Amino acid sequence: MKPENPILAGLALVAGLLFLSPVLYSIWMSFQTVDAYYAGQLGFTLDNYARAVGQYNFARYLLNSLIVSGLVTLIGITFATMAAYAFARYSFRGGNFLFAATVATLMIPSHISLIPNYLTLAKVGLLDSYAGLILPAISNGFAAFFLRQYIRGIPKALDEAAYMDGATSLQVLWRIIVPLSRPAIASMALYIFITEWNNYIWPLVAVGKQDLYTLQIGLARLYRINPGEGLIDWPLVMAASTITILPVLLGFLLVERHLVRGITMGAVK
Amino acid sequence: MSGISLRDIRKAYVNGPQVLHGVSLDIQPGEFVVIVGPSGCGKSTLLRLIAGLDRCEDGTIEIGGRRANDLAPQDRDIAMIFQNYALYPHMTVRENIAFGLELRGMKKAERNERAQNVAKTLQLEAYLDRKPAALSGGQRQRVAMGRAMARNASIFLMDEPLSNLDNALRITMRTEIKELHRQLGATMVYVTHDQTEALSLADRIAVMKDGHLLQFDRPDVIYDRPANRFVASFLGSPPMNFVAADRLPDWNGPRGLTAGLRPEILSVHAEKPAQPALEAHLLLSEMTGADMLLHCESPAGRLTVSAPRQDLPKNSEQFWIAFDLDRALFFDSQNGDRVDLPVAKQP
Ligand SMILES: Nc1ncnc2c1ncn2[C@@H]1O[C@H](COP(=O)(O)OP(=O)(O)O)[C@@H](O)[C@H]1O
Ligand SMILES: [Mg+2]
Repeated sequence: MKPENPILAGLALVAGLLFLSPVLYSIWMSFQTVDAYYAGQLGFTLDNYARAVGQYNFARYLLNSLIVSGLVTLIGITFATMAAYAFARYSFRGGNFLFAATVATLMIPSHISLIPNYLTLAKVGLLDSYAGLILPAISNGFAAFFLRQYIRGIPKALDEAAYMDGATSLQVLWRIIVPLSRPAIASMALYIFITEWNNYIWPLVAVGKQDLYTLQIGLARLYRINPGEGLIDWPLVMAASTITILPVLLGFLLVERHLVRGITMGAVK
Repeated sequence: MSGISLRDIRKAYVNGPQVLHGVSLDIQPGEFVVIVGPSGCGKSTLLRLIAGLDRCEDGTIEIGGRRANDLAPQDRDIAMIFQNYALYPHMTVRENIAFGLELRGMKKAERNERAQNVAKTLQLEAYLDRKPAALSGGQRQRVAMGRAMARNASIFLMDEPLSNLDNALRITMRTEIKELHRQLGATMVYVTHDQTEALSLADRIAVMKDGHLLQFDRPDVIYDRPANRFVASFLGSPPMNFVAADRLPDWNGPRGLTAGLRPEILSVHAEKPAQPALEAHLLLSEMTGADMLLHCESPAGRLTVSAPRQDLPKNSEQFWIAFDLDRALFFDSQNGDRVDLPVAKQP
């Protein structure tokens, strides 16, 4: 690496702080008492978190969000990888049409499928359940498309070498394709996770029971629950939103290693 | 050890032209067969059909006496070495070598020991824990061979395994492959477009052109008695000279023939020799070591002569090229087939 230019480094720092400032401000606010906040004074309290988790049930919402987004990511990335492998490596009757259909789903705004999904799940009685939250999200056209392009970049001779070595097609997928696609799979998993984590509309329509609320729903409710004398309890809302964004940040830190490795791997070969 | 028998193999790729036009080939158990031919003649296609990587719908493939058309590659007991080696980039050398054993359910300790032994044979022990990216071209080539060896397969297929190596390494590895064949005794089918490799490695050579098998025989037979003009021109370096037989001095044989004169049966003389000779004018000379390669213009056409350096006429671009008509080959000028002349002697 070249020695860093102090001016550039300074600029980068300023830009970084600029991007971070809303987040830092809301985290800071989440530690203020309401009175101090409206009086323009400084204070410190953990009470907002205690209330969000205890009184307002955010522990449960956090768990729900983790279950839903976690399963959607796990199942979604599995399906996307398998579909991508099939699209990249097999030519079969109707394959081109199916692939075109997969790509076409990228062009349909999600709101259009909202009502059909709702009606379908209502018919099979899956509204107000984890399954109802998870099922509509497990197919991800973009991830399948992206991974297919990535897999096509892996030399087919590697598959063939593995077949000669005695592998079955599932073993080729699992032992050759998946390890070599790790950076792409990690980015897509992160993308699916974040998309699902931030999903608001679907949980809003699919779930009525408070026990099944996700963080996004809980957060939106907090504004309405809490308008004491025309005031919004901003420190409480900020505590709740901090709880909402933290897992995403942690998730990013978890896969970041793979993302960076993916970039350098591309540079060498 | 298994033999391979190919019967009238034809292959056309989807939406592509026909690549193989009925190839039949019988390869004996333990034999080293080299398939040689210009790029695009269908060598790799043939090899992939034997391996089972492409489906053979037209013709019969038998391996070890059993029909193999419908066997998956895993079930053919074949190891293959790919042109670009196709090493698994995410695995160490050890894992690369042992992968096939792992897939066959061999215990870790046992397969690592096998990998160790193979690596020892190939002088790769120091690199067992490296990834392929950290190896030189020659080492990668060795790993590819090791991966094939570890499995003790009865048939080895190699598709231009040396074409990515520099010249010196290619010659070393050529010897090693030959040595490997002697040690393992497995049947080997080796594809190359390099006639030198074909001549030096093969028990028998199969010469292909445009999806046809032209000749399948021992290297010396292919060299001395090529089936046709193409085979004659493809094997041998520098390549054979072809001139119209009618234009040779004192020619009294049949008309319509082309004479094939290998550069080494021609000799250079300052004065007109007693044997039949053509007067020639030097266009260009190349030094190849002990010999000089002379490109000359003669009344019969262009000729390339290979001559020991000390035989060369000094300070002269005009000289005589004598030839030994007994060692010349003759081809039908129309269809290129070799013609045996009952008495090809000159007066
Ligand atoms: N997968 C394929 N699809 C269509 N045509 C192919 C395919 N593979 C090879 N060919 C064509 O088949 C011919 C023979 O190819 P190949 O067997 O690779 O030749 P070689 O190995 O002798 O150079 C070439 O003309 C090539 O373009
Ligand atoms: Mg080839």
